[in-house]
Formats: sequence, structure tokens, C-alpha cells
Amino acid sequence: MTSFAISTHGLTHRYGTKVALKPLNLDVATGEIFGLLGHNGAGKTTTVSLLTTLLRPTGGTATVAGHDIVADARGARSKIGYLPENVQFYDDLTLAENLRFFAKLSGIPKPDARIAEVLGFLDFEGHDHERVGAFSKGMRQRVGIAQAILHRPPVLFLDEPTSGLDPEGVRTLRQSVVRLNAEWGTTIFMNTHLLAEVTRTCTSIGIVRQGELVHHDSLAATLGEYPTEQALESAYFDTAGSAA
Amino acid sequence: MNSISVFAGKELLDLRRNKVMWVLTASLAIAVLISVVVASLDFRTQMAAYDLYVNQLKASGSTVIPAAPQLFPLQMLRGGFEYIEIIGALFAVVVGYGTIARERFRGTMHLILSRDIGRVSFAGGKLLGIGVFWAVIVGAIVAVAAVSVSVVGTASLTGGDAFRLLIAGSVSWVYLMFWSAVAAGLTALMRRPSSALILALGLWLFVVLIVPQIGDTMDPDNQVPGGLFKALAIQKSDEVAVLAHFSTFESARNALEVTSVSKLFERIAFAFVGIKDKYNQQGFAFIWYAMSRYTWSILAMTVSATVFSLVASTRTNLLRKAS
Repeated sequence: MTSFAISTHGLTHRYGTKVALKPLNLDVATGEIFGLLGHNGAGKTTTVSLLTTLLRPTGGTATVAGHDIVADARGARSKIGYLPENVQFYDDLTLAENLRFFAKLSGIPKPDARIAEVLGFLDFEGHDHERVGAFSKGMRQRVGIAQAILHRPPVLFLDEPTSGLDPEGVRTLRQSVVRLNAEWGTTIFMNTHLLAEVTRTCTSIGIVRQGELVHHDSLAATLGEYPTEQALESAYFDTAGSAA
Repeated sequence: MNSISVFAGKELLDLRRNKVMWVLTASLAIAVLISVVVASLDFRTQMAAYDLYVNQLKASGSTVIPAAPQLFPLQMLRGGFEYIEIIGALFAVVVGYGTIARERFRGTMHLILSRDIGRVSFAGGKLLGIGVFWAVIVGAIVAVAAVSVSVVGTASLTGGDAFRLLIAGSVSWVYLMFWSAVAAGLTALMRRPSSALILALGLWLFVVLIVPQIGDTMDPDNQVPGGLFKALAIQKSDEVAVLAHFSTFESARNALEVTSVSKLFERIAFAFVGIKDKYNQQGFAFIWYAMSRYTWSILAMTVSATVFSLVASTRTNLLRKAS
């Protein structure tokens, strides 16, 4: 029997009268790398905000790592890591000071040892005493990954993780995501509007359009249906609709 | 280590590294120090004048020596406590505003609130950090004031004086925490942090300057510089008898004044330190009996401001503002 790291049933969110997310029924199996594709404003960030308990749903239910996101929100939060789009840090603090703060907030008893372990895993050693404010966008994204996995969460949410990165930064981040999944068994939920990002990283794909999940299948099945890059791209634009 | 202490530690680190805050608190300490030094020099001048007069009397063969002037060292601290009352409150507003506004402007809220922390951990930790900060600042100011009175004013402080100073310092801490908590709560509550700062400064203006000024203006004894009754050479018993005819007016004036947390602070600090003549050289029990209702009032106001700040800074509310 498949266990689901993320499971939603009719999960809905409205901003006043505007429906941001239509009833969402989605299961993401433990150990998957799930990519949620969609144009800007399609409802990707709303979905992640709901699943990370940063937004309260206006309808439906969802569990993350077995914890209900409303009834047991703190339990859910203890099991997730989160990298927001345009992640911000304490720019006046060093990398080590930033990570130490977030490690302590996550209740890690020996933060320095864990920080060294995580930075080693991300091949990001030697910057401990540099101020984060001086980091490039790519370096900041790696700090973002580091803070998100400090407490070894079973589920990691990444919101547009490659946004604004140069090709080298994209490749480094992609490698980190794949290694996290392979070596730590972390289930990864990734938002993106880049088709190539999903086909190179994910094991299953969802496409959201105007707040509605219009496609959900494994990467293998999706590529079987659309074997060439052009066919997949056409299908994506047909399914996701024209960009907002 | 729980999340409240983590936030408190982070707040202290931020305050320690904030150069503007150092300039503000240093200027407050310097202002207090200058006021004490000026009062101490005045004290020393009066004592020197008395000594000179006594020496001249002795040199002229007089055997009648007048009593030394009634000078009380702690009364030199009047200016210092007035600075804490006015400028200290203003800085406390800036500290309270800054603690929440910094996080909102930085955009770090989502990273913090996606973690498993308690509902009031964020604001509770921030206020705890600010509490430690004000304890250190007030402690330093009181210590500097005490040393200044002793060294510059050449007045010796007794154990009782130190105890009174300790109480006045504690009340100062409670007062400054009130303003920081109010400003932090408003900054968390309002959609735009800048609007919260303007509102907090407006409140400061009204509570610290306008209400006490109205109260002072309504005080019959304040109609003449130095005191109306003193200028007319009216004895205290007669003054009480005269004021008895205006009890309703006096009650109204008093009721207006005690709505101001600043006036409460001033009354308590001035009473315990002996700046107010009525309480000077009086026993602790006497002063406590007279000041207990004001003390409970200022404590209740600060506790209310803290609860307001905690409620305004709940996770749900902060997220609403951050989105």
C-alpha cells in the first residue's frame, strides 16, 4: 500500500470572492519529487502556502506527513521544510549566525554540528563567517535550502526555487534536490513555471490552471504520452492555458 | 532552548548591533548624566556658599551658626527621571516599533512562521529581549546617576537611598516596557508599519506631553513660578484648607492626570526618590501606602500593553500582514 506524504481532499482557498484554488484532490507518495507546473497566478503559491500552514484553507482537508494542516498545524510544521520564492534572510548576520538562529528555532540540540553536516551535504562549506547580505542569488538559494533541511524534514516545499538563477545556479540547485531525495529520502514538492525543470528533476507532474489541477501523473507516464520535448511543451501550453 | 528564548536572544543581538539604538540610548544616558552633573554642581556650590558663610561668621567671632541648608542628594536626580519620562518613552516607542517592523520589512516572516513555534513565541521572545535590554540600560543609567551624585555632588548615598533608587529604576523599567509593548503591538496590528509608528508617536505626544501639561495647567499652585502658595507665603495647613473648597475640581484634575502612564511614573519615581517634598525623608511604608494605587495602575497598564502586543502579534495576524 502506497503511503502519501501529502494528501488533499477538496482543498480550497478563496480570497474574498476570488477563488484562488478550486477543490484540490492530490496525493503525493512518500519519496516522490512532485513538480507543480503552472503559469504565474495559476494557484501554485497558494497551494504551497496552504500545505505549509501559512494560509488557512477555506474548504477541504489536507495532511502533510500524516498531520492535518488545520487540526494539527504545529505537527505538520514540525515535519516540513520550506523555501519561499524570493527568500530573505538576516543580511547583517553571517551564514552561520543565520543558520544557527533557524536551527535553534527548529529545536535542534547541537546546531553547529548539524549546520556543518548540512553545509557539507550541499557542498557549501567555507562561507560560514561571510555575511549573507553579500551573497549572490545562487548562494542565497543554497542558504534557503540549508535552512529548510536543517531539521531533516521528511517533506520539503520549494516555491519557484530556480527563479532568477543563472544556469550554474540552476544546475547546482537541481543536483541538491535530487540528492536530498535519493540520500535522505525527502519527499519534495516543487512549484515551478519551467517545464524543463520538472522533466529533469521530478518523478511526478501536476499542472494547475486558474486554480484547478488539470493534469497529474508520473513523469514516466507523461513522457510516454508526449515523447518529444515539443509535444510535451504543446501539451503543457494546451493544458495550462496561455500565460497570464 | 525554547523558541521564546531564541527570539529573545536574536532581539538582543539585533539591538546590540544597531548603531542607531546605541546612539539613542547613549544620548539618553548622557542627558541624564548632564542633568545630574548640573544638579550636583549646584549642590556643591550651595554647600560651598554655606561653608564660606559659616567660616566668615566664625572669623567675625560669632558663636551662632545657622543650620546647614536642607539639601538631599537624590533630589539631584529630578532632571534624570524627567528625561526618562519624556525622551526614554520616545526611545522605547522606537525600540518597540523596530522589533516588529524590521522583521516585516526584511520579509523573514514566512521562514519564521513556517516553523513549529508557539502562538505567542515570536512576540513573547521579542518582548523578553526588549525587557532585558531596558533592564541593562536602566541599570546602567541608575548606576551612572548614583556615581555622579556621589562623585560630582560629593554627597554620600545611604543604603536606604540605594534602595529608593532601585525602586525608581524598577518603575522606570516598567514604564519603558509599557511604551515598547504598545509600539510593538501597534506595528504588528496595522497593515503599514509606518502608520503604526505615526500612531504610536501621536499617543506618546498625547500621553507624555499633552495630558500632563493640561494637568499642570489646571493645578492652582502652578499659576505662579515657584508655586502660588509659596509666593503668597501661605502655610501648608492653610493651603489644604483653601484647596478643600475646590475638592471637585482637584479630583477632576487628579483623575485626568492619572490617566497618563507618564504622570503615574513621575509621581511614583518622584515620591520614592524624594523629589516631591511631601515624600522627602519619609519612611518607605508611608510612601508605599501613598503610591500603591499608582504602582498597581502602572503595572496593570504595562501588563495590558504586553497582552495587547502578544495578541496583536499572533501567528495568524502576522501572516495576514505578511501576505
